[in-house]
Amino acid sequence: MKLLIVDDAVFIRLTLKMMLEKNGYQVIGEAANGSEAILKYNELKPDLVTMDITMPQMDGITALKAIKRMDPSAKVVMISALGQESTVKEAIVSGASGFIVKPFVEEQVLRGLSKFKIATEAL
Amino acid sequence: MTNNDSKAPMLDLFVFETNQMLEQLERLILDSEKSGGLEVAINEVFRIMHTLKGSAAMMMFNDISSLAHSLEDVFYYLREAKPQRVDYSELTDLVLNAVDFIKGEVIKVESGGNPDGDCSEVSGKNRGFLSALKETDPNLTDASEKSNNESENQLSIGVSNISEEQGKIRYEAAIYFDEDCGMENIRAFTLVHELSEFAEDIVHSPNDILENDNTSEVIRKEGFKIAFATQNSLEILQDFFCKTMFLKEFNMNVVEAASIKQTRNKTIVLDDPIPDESMNCTTKKVEQQTEGTQSFISVNVSKMDMLMDLVGELVIAEAMVTQNPELQGLRLDKFYKSARQLRKITSELQDTVMSIRMVPLSATFHKMNRIVRDMVRKLNKQAELEIIGEQTEVDKNIIESISDPLMHLIRNAVDHGIEPARERIAQGKPEVGKIRLEAKSAGGDVLIMIQDDGGGLNKEKILRKALERGLIETEEISLTDSQIYSFILQPGFSTNDTVTEFSGRGVGMDVVAKNIEKVGGTISVDSLEGGGTTISIRIPLTLAIIDGMNVKVGGSIYTIPIIAIKESFRLKEQNLIKDTDNNEMIMIRGECHPVLRLYERFQVQAAVKELKEGIMVMVEADGKGICLFVDSLLGQQQVVVKALPTYIKKRPGIAGCTLLGDGGVSLILDVAGLNS
Amino acid sequence: MPEIAANELEVGEDTQKDKFLTFSLGTEVYGIEIKFVTEIIGMQFVTEIPDLPEYVKGIINLRGKIIPVIDVRLRFKKVYREYNDRTCIVVVDIKDVTVGLIVDAVDEVLIIGEQEIVLPPQFDNGSYHQHFIKGIGKVGKDVKLILDSDRLLSDNEINSLERVC
Repeated sequence: MKLLIVDDAVFIRLTLKMMLEKNGYQVIGEAANGSEAILKYNELKPDLVTMDITMPQMDGITALKAIKRMDPSAKVVMISALGQESTVKEAIVSGASGFIVKPFVEEQVLRGLSKFKIATEAL
Repeated sequence: MTNNDSKAPMLDLFVFETNQMLEQLERLILDSEKSGGLEVAINEVFRIMHTLKGSAAMMMFNDISSLAHSLEDVFYYLREAKPQRVDYSELTDLVLNAVDFIKGEVIKVESGGNPDGDCSEVSGKNRGFLSALKETDPNLTDASEKSNNESENQLSIGVSNISEEQGKIRYEAAIYFDEDCGMENIRAFTLVHELSEFAEDIVHSPNDILENDNTSEVIRKEGFKIAFATQNSLEILQDFFCKTMFLKEFNMNVVEAASIKQTRNKTIVLDDPIPDESMNCTTKKVEQQTEGTQSFISVNVSKMDMLMDLVGELVIAEAMVTQNPELQGLRLDKFYKSARQLRKITSELQDTVMSIRMVPLSATFHKMNRIVRDMVRKLNKQAELEIIGEQTEVDKNIIESISDPLMHLIRNAVDHGIEPARERIAQGKPEVGKIRLEAKSAGGDVLIMIQDDGGGLNKEKILRKALERGLIETEEISLTDSQIYSFILQPGFSTNDTVTEFSGRGVGMDVVAKNIEKVGGTISVDSLEGGGTTISIRIPLTLAIIDGMNVKVGGSIYTIPIIAIKESFRLKEQNLIKDTDNNEMIMIRGECHPVLRLYERFQVQAAVKELKEGIMVMVEADGKGICLFVDSLLGQQQVVVKALPTYIKKRPGIAGCTLLGDGGVSLILDVAGLNS
Repeated sequence: MPEIAANELEVGEDTQKDKFLTFSLGTEVYGIEIKFVTEIIGMQFVTEIPDLPEYVKGIINLRGKIIPVIDVRLRFKKVYREYNDRTCIVVVDIKDVTVGLIVDAVDEVLIIGEQEIVLPPQFDNGSYHQHFIKGIGKVGKDVKLILDSDRLLSDNEINSLERVC
């Protein structure tokens, strides 16, 4: 399954990438902020996007909405922190497919994303 | 997540990124302090704290994470509630304290240790600050209520008439989420939201999943119960539920129509999303104020070193081809034309690679802002730092070595140089002391000057101390001012009567001098009593590849940096004189220069001993010129400076060594060292 | 002779245990743990460096790397002997310090088990090299003096010289 990882911290992106690639996911791109995410989504057309919420220049919610406008079938999983309940709610309302709470552990991420993997593989 | 083996490569990146963020944060805070308002930076500080919290949590560094969290909360509150009376000065201190704590922990982690610091005191202060803010803010309750109302959804569900005729089946389900998936209430909301696309009359328990975050706990314990009506079959619904993220288990069954009661109609209302544009605008402004976003990539330093070495070897190899003895006497016009082209390209490659290693001094200089600020506050003095020429670039290696010396010199300037405000006013000086940190490139060197307009150095005190320590015999010796001042660079030298927390123990200046020397630089002191002190540091710009003149002394070959050579000539007898100690000197254009016979100095078997039969190379370092006596000049060559192996400790007079075109080794002379 | 040594050196770390490279100075044969030996080269031109202890001959260019060389005879305070075509430089890497050891001749690689090595007796004749010997290895009828690598490169003398300068 092809993923686009969006987070402003290189460290988080790398951690997530390592976790995912180890388990059979293919990370085809990375973005450090919302606007980059939109560009990369358009260019790479990933199966799934993991989107951090707090980012400079353009945050995750705005990017999510833009991506959903471009491609209503886009699957975007938000990466949030505890305490961001209302923002996550807004994301869900705007079309996010789900969310994962930081700090995340490998097992958790895999379980969360597994639903999507089955879905794409079934296609 | 305790797979420690996979953490190691992450550690480097964590350390690098965290340090970068801390630096950014510090700069942000100090800049905004100067321009009078932390307000524009709130958003960015919040973001940095948020990221620090996240990264630290990923690495399981819980103290760092919780400290960052406590500050994140403060800045979140500042951003959302926009309280009126905020003590920004106190806030700045809190942030800087946090920065210091995290810096300390990162250092521990970097050297393989554990971040075992206890952040509770620092975090406690942050939390206290936030509570105080919340208490004293008159707008508080309104703001929080307002924000609650705005962000609060008015999700109310009701039950409408059951219309079995429309073919809708009523279902009930109880859903359990995975342990520790987090924010169960929002997950429940997600379910409701998705369900509402094809189901109606949705009722659920807990009811207030959006307003009350504590419902997460309830959902964890008792599961999320939901009832709804839809046309879809059980299979389709089961499929739907199975696709839920972090679903652990669920039970579902059809509900008998009769058991449903009729209640009032309500509609599901979801509020509009909060407009983000305003937030984005301010963020953008702050971004532009901070460092311009140029595209940089971070490169592993060892790769850079390898590249440097390779370029160095290319230079040697190129010389071995174009200056090959086998080509002697041959007429090869086309060859030499191509060789010149090759030389040109190699030269350009070399310049480019060198420039990659060059880093502007600005980051180092700006670190000094923090030091001045802290010291000024601790010592209750008034001083400000002026930075000039921060764009001047030096080799990356050098940056690391001069950072500590500079810090010490700046501390000295504030501690000993700048007088308390009253004294300054009494002397007719401006109340606020000025410390000027300046860098500029001069020829092949970089000059760094630290100048203060404080009290200056007292020559008599220094002389007396020097006498005390046996550095001079009697006080009557005629020493130049600069020689007197340079006594302060001796170990253990301090004319201070009292020892402060920062200096006065006399263990500083000599270490500074040593560190400067280690990178091949020199340091000199000048002062005006009552007017201030100026410390000047001169560092050779690039150590790695220099233009050198190869000379022969007996069976050995030495290389003299071209930049140090003033002229070379064959001696005429009449210019040679001897001084009172029988030292040989040469008179040139009215000036006397000592002669140094290199074969003697280096204990080499001399081939040429008669001064008239060899060559004199006049070299100069620090204004002093001496004449080196060598057998013959072998020619100019670009040489790659290689350090002497560490097993052989540094020898005065020898800067390093280089590989010659024929595979031999030549020692590169350090003219300043020969002078002493 | 160098060829044999080179082959031995290619063996992995575990199998290097109990293996020693032996070399001779006059009539005495010394052994050094092979794990420290990186290569063996013939004698080449040494660039002298002034003001160093007598046994530090200077530096050589080893394929672009500058390494210092020590004359082991002089290190052990024996009589200096002119170099000839049997003289070799044994390049060792001990605790990240690379040094070349100038020896009269290199012998062979031997396996000397722990049980065949005894502690050196406390001589009273004050043979200087005993300072550097950590054991005596018995191989057939011969004895090989096993070197203490740390001591070999300890530069206390260089330190004291530094301070004088």
